[in-house]
Amino acid sequence: MIKRVKAGIQRGLGLHRPGRSLLILPDDIFLVSFPKSGNTWTRFLLANLRFPNEPATWANIDRLVPDPTGTAKKDFDRIPRPRIIKSHECFDPRYPRVIYIVRDPRDVVVSQYHYHRKIRRIEVDSPIEKFVPRFLAGETCPHGSWGQNVATWLYTSEGDPRFLLLRYEDLVADTARELAKVVDFLKLSAGPAQIAQAVERSSADRMREMEKAQDNGLFKGSRNDMSFVRAAGSGGWRTGLPAPMVAKIESAWGPLMRHLGYELSTKTASEAPEYASLGVAHGARNV
Amino acid sequence: MAEFGTSKGEKGKVGKMIKRLIAGGKYFIGMYPPGRRVGIFPDDLFLVSYPKSGNTWTRFLVANLVYPERNPDFSNINDLLPDIEGTMKRDLDRAARPRILKSHQYFDPRYPKVLYIVRDPRDVALSEYYFDIKRRAIAEDFPIAEFVSRFVRGELNHPYGTWGENVSTWFYARRGDSRLLLVTYEALLAQPMEEMERIARFMDVPADAERLAFAIERSSADRMRALEKKQGHLWSSTKQTRQDKPFVRSAKAGGWKAELPEASVAEIEGAWGSLMREIGYELGSSNLAHAEMEEDRAGTRR
Repeated sequence: MIKRVKAGIQRGLGLHRPGRSLLILPDDIFLVSFPKSGNTWTRFLLANLRFPNEPATWANIDRLVPDPTGTAKKDFDRIPRPRIIKSHECFDPRYPRVIYIVRDPRDVVVSQYHYHRKIRRIEVDSPIEKFVPRFLAGETCPHGSWGQNVATWLYTSEGDPRFLLLRYEDLVADTARELAKVVDFLKLSAGPAQIAQAVERSSADRMREMEKAQDNGLFKGSRNDMSFVRAAGSGGWRTGLPAPMVAKIESAWGPLMRHLGYELSTKTASEAPEYASLGVAHGARNV
Repeated sequence: MAEFGTSKGEKGKVGKMIKRLIAGGKYFIGMYPPGRRVGIFPDDLFLVSYPKSGNTWTRFLVANLVYPERNPDFSNINDLLPDIEGTMKRDLDRAARPRILKSHQYFDPRYPKVLYIVRDPRDVALSEYYFDIKRRAIAEDFPIAEFVSRFVRGELNHPYGTWGENVSTWFYARRGDSRLLLVTYEALLAQPMEEMERIARFMDVPADAERLAFAIERSSADRMRALEKKQGHLWSSTKQTRQDKPFVRSAKAGGWKAELPEASVAEIEGAWGSLMREIGYELGSSNLAHAEMEEDRAGTRR
């Protein structure tokens, strides 16, 4: 009862987090990914690109590139348009423009495993062998499984001019080149100097330093001996993920992974059917 | 979509504040249909489909199967199988469990068991066209070719995405998953006993042939038409609409062959041809060749 009164008052004052009831504006841009796929890094990159006069920090990121489940509604209403909004949701037809970040699921699972130990969602000594099956079943977060999240976006939107697909691995390999794609996609005026500045201001080293210095409650209650910004690289699964776990992931999502250019290490035939492009209204809605 | 506390323009802070407080009050007492942010229980079962795909018929079939003693009709169907877009949150919270909920939503990973009804998009477009006339969203003489173009582009009078988006998100995210049962409207029409048996098994409802036949008979198009005549002006989905146009229309498959212009058929098949074929719908237009070329191209991209 008290909980509901509080929720009602919060709503009246616009202090609630809008979540799925966020009012979407026609010029909104959504930065979407499955969790632990480089979303936070890209969020810093885009914030630094879009607001060069206000370097992104852990303290202001929720205001610069808001999160419907983390930013209050009243703050949402004050953000200069067009807004760049963070999301982990599966396909949503209401999103006007989408930048989708995809990452090798073998690295995602390792990252999420460490993150869940950091935020004490699982015991620190809980083995990764226990985590992987839950990860495959989509039980480790409320945004579907990696395969579901990626499939709903790719099958509906790949090839659509309102959809930009970026691989985390490409972002790591050549950040400036990938950011230039974003500049094109969003029709921003940023030149090479501004892109370079955004890359520099969002470097893993700088983000790690800021994480140490800024205790803004983002990681309240989590283990401080483990950092949020971890390796910030790709391919860590080769040493961090036991071979049988690799095989499980490749067997579940092999075709989708191959389609995205993630080479499979096992030769086991996948149970999943081959990925076939649907030609689902590719750009048809934009005609 | 309706949104609380959003007033545009220079209405002044006070008006905005009052609106917000009303929204806050309504929220507090649960007087709003939750839609996509519905709270979910692990034992919920969702009856999902794209609009105009036989959802109401299936709702009656399932209601007559599970609650035969309640004598389902248009006056109590919203209580028996509540609609997350129409039923107030507080009523949804109080509904007897396990709940069977009606939804038109695209993929939602939180839904536990999902019975998904899919229908040939060429018939869906036609059905949506007549329904939009009934609910005065378009004029009676609105050109159907123009309507189909809008349908394909996703310029719709509802927030559930295009047919291709809605179907593909469920189909590809849950393919092979035991928590999804995909039933086509056409199969339900052609062999209701077999399909109802699958549905009953999926729902863990013990059902012998007699009970299945009873549910099918109680949900026949004739019976639903008779019920609509008596109760159509009272049911939430039809009460504000033109009463001279029926909600329960032909209840058939393949109406598009006679009524859709060839170009419109080609437009639909061009947009969703591969998905349609994967579900089992035969393509009728020369666009088939084009769709196959598209697929070959995609298959050899990497």
